[in-house]
Amino acid sequence: MKNRIKVFRAMHDLTQEALARELGVTRQTVLAIEKGKYDPSLDLAFRIARYFGVTIEEVFTFDEAS
Amino acid sequence: MVLTIDIGTTMKQNTFYILAGIVGLLEVGAFWLSVQHRNPLLIIAVFITGIAFLYLAWRRVTDRQVDERAVLIAQKAGTATFMVFWVVFFAISLGSAVMGLGAPRFPLPPDWRDRTRVLNESAVIPGGDPSAFPERIAVPDDGLIRLGMFGYLQLSLLFLLFFLYVGFRVYYARKYGEWETDEEQD
Repeated sequence: MKNRIKVFRAMHDLTQEALARELGVTRQTVLAIEKGKYDPSLDLAFRIARYFGVTIEEVFTFDEAS
Repeated sequence: MVLTIDIGTTMKQNTFYILAGIVGLLEVGAFWLSVQHRNPLLIIAVFITGIAFLYLAWRRVTDRQVDERAVLIAQKAGTATFMVFWVVFFAISLGSAVMGLGAPRFPLPPDWRDRTRVLNESAVIPGGDPSAFPERIAVPDDGLIRLGMFGYLQLSLLFLLFFLYVGFRVYYARKYGEWETDEEQD
């Protein structure tokens, strides 16, 4: 799963810590998602997308290779 | 420096770890006392009380950070531990069953238990004469000794369980980016 969280974070001028606090997860989780080490649950993915005010497909894209 | 621990209210995670260390030391002391007094109930009671105390203390930790990734790591590590452990446990249980079923088939002398007991007594002083002892040394019953040895086996299996879990936890934590760093890292 590829994602553009880092891009959206930059657009909203948010640190990983701040985003993590907003989403109720740890900073390590945000970092792991950004680096593609961890695929979030559907619930968390929706929360991320809603937080940035975009659709889930704009944040996450399915990667056949991974 | 004065360390104050108040579990009546709330506490930080590090305070809990200090508390856990203190409880661990008390448990070791209780185990020693229990052995000295040959009273297994003492260590059983102290151990259960200690765990209950730590559970209550853990619930008062305020800076616990548990999210879905942490839960996933714990679940994966637990499942992997179980999968390996049950194979080891089953194998050892099969071995124990064979030992239990494979009782000596040779006709033993009728007084073989007494002979073993005398050997135990004479072993107290190398080369000593068992008849020199005015009183028989209290040798625990064979069944109790076997039960004690079974305790060692159980403890070693529990340690195996613990180390397996820690190992798998480290593995899955690495897999799911626990120690990843980036430009925001302090």
